[in-house]
Amino acid sequence: MEEDGAANRKAINRFIKRMPSLSTTVGKVMEICSRTDASPNELNKVISLDPVLTGQVLKLINSAYYSLMNKVTSLTRAITMLGMNTVKNMALSTAIIRSVSGAKKSKSLPTKKFWAHSIATGVCAKLLAKANGVPVMECEEYFVAGLLHDLGKIPFGDEYIDVLEKVKQEYLPLIDVERDMLGVDHQEVGRLIAEKWKLNEAMTSSIAFHHDVEAAPEEHRVRVAYVGLANMYANILEFGYAGDPFPAADGADVMLKITGLTWDMFGEVATEVEEEIEKAQVFLQS
Amino acid sequence: MMKLRFWGVRGSIPCPGAKTMKYGGNGACMELRVENRKEIIVIDAGSGIRELGNTLVANDLPNGPLRLALYLSHTHWDHIMGFPYFTPIYIPGTKMTVHGPVTYEDDPLKDVVGGQMKYRYFPINVGELASDIEYKRLREEPDMDLGDGLLLTTKFLNHPITALGYRFEYQGKIICTCYDHEPYRNLFITDPDHPEYDEAMAYEGEEVAQEQNQAVEDFFKGADLLVHDSQYTAEEYKSRVNWGHSTYEWAIAAANRAGVKRLALFHHDPDRTDAQIDEMAKTYCEPGKYGDTEVFFATEGSEIIV
Repeated sequence: MEEDGAANRKAINRFIKRMPSLSTTVGKVMEICSRTDASPNELNKVISLDPVLTGQVLKLINSAYYSLMNKVTSLTRAITMLGMNTVKNMALSTAIIRSVSGAKKSKSLPTKKFWAHSIATGVCAKLLAKANGVPVMECEEYFVAGLLHDLGKIPFGDEYIDVLEKVKQEYLPLIDVERDMLGVDHQEVGRLIAEKWKLNEAMTSSIAFHHDVEAAPEEHRVRVAYVGLANMYANILEFGYAGDPFPAADGADVMLKITGLTWDMFGEVATEVEEEIEKAQVFLQS
Repeated sequence: MMKLRFWGVRGSIPCPGAKTMKYGGNGACMELRVENRKEIIVIDAGSGIRELGNTLVANDLPNGPLRLALYLSHTHWDHIMGFPYFTPIYIPGTKMTVHGPVTYEDDPLKDVVGGQMKYRYFPINVGELASDIEYKRLREEPDMDLGDGLLLTTKFLNHPITALGYRFEYQGKIICTCYDHEPYRNLFITDPDHPEYDEAMAYEGEEVAQEQNQAVEDFFKGADLLVHDSQYTAEEYKSRVNWGHSTYEWAIAAANRAGVKRLALFHHDPDRTDAQIDEMAKTYCEPGKYGDTEVFFATEGSEIIV
């Protein structure tokens, strides 16, 4: 098993090195970018609905423009500071690069469903945060954190099919099966990607600890807990599919305590979550 | 002591002629001399750099090979078009470092600036220059030590391509440039009834715009001399939003808020006549009328010592 784990890690590292992005929204991004009358709102929306593209654009902005890392943390900020043209160019070239470099199609996790899950988690994290009095400005970062939380699943290859199968057959939490069969889990892989893309610590924490919230750095723990709960919500209600229909329920109480949320609040935001997800579906149509 | 001389004060395109004789028709270029520093600093390579080059060859070259540092605010054509006509680059022994920002998708600085020296556009190729030229891309960075006690801080400005403001600091004296620059504004839809309205974007857009405007003012805070973009009147600006330039009113107000001692209104519109500037000077340059900052219109050939 340890040998398998090491081999998997090697393969994953190789993949991450040449990792492109998902390609679902490429067409939309290209359309918005080629229109001169596209509004900043539209541009922001279309990029932000693609977790990989968002990460890449923010990474580019930080590496291309700033000596200090992680300075630009949101697309709204990027568009205001660098202007529509620059962000359009970044998004467009990123999207083109990834479409020509032929993103790997995962046989195990269908891209659209994976995406729908990511968006649902992002939307849910944002709306829960908003309902619980988190300042409006920070809520957008909760959305991005939710969107990006499962990035670590992308590099897994065909061996992941067996993992997902076992989850289904034995009703197990995905992360346990990953650790058991692959010797590595998607949080760990996600952290590697986050490091490669130089995502900030808050986002990295959401990616690396959403199943182990208590292990998250204290200053980011509340946000990670929102993402963890939103992830659970999206999984249980089957918004999209990210391979984890039977998440471990025992972490929920801890996360509720950390966030101060109650189960009732999920009911209160449910309609809005569904509406937001519905709106986002437009961008999943290729 | 630092001495700044204006060799070109216009924006967009050179506009020599009877109507621009007084303030000058050449494109952006300044010469900055720092006490006890051999290296001569040049800011921007608009058409004004040609005359500067000729003067350096006549007055400085006899004392030994030229050591030059060119700082480009950005690579729009009006700020680089004079480069091929800058005589020192053809003289063996000249050492020059060209500094400037590059917009994300653009080629390296050497290709952007040197790209105009191809046979298609110009009889000499950039590779044929006799001088020793090094290109150095700049990002936003505080307190770079340029040696001999001279510090440089760079700041990103708001322009359709990446533009940098420069803050030179020597023995407690500060000279800043802030062009081409338009005040940041909230770009996002703020009308809650608009179908695309997004509360978070509207809120954050406003917050970031204010924060960035403050950051620019902090950048030139307390400057002894600020050279600021002021291409438009408030009225003209209404139809030129997002073009990347400021109004007189904004430049003066911002300089005042930041406690700037002297403000040079710069990057004059090519259509702005001497008569118009003289008329505006009566209002804007009246001592004390707009706060404590001394305001003047930058004039080609004039020198400021701080």
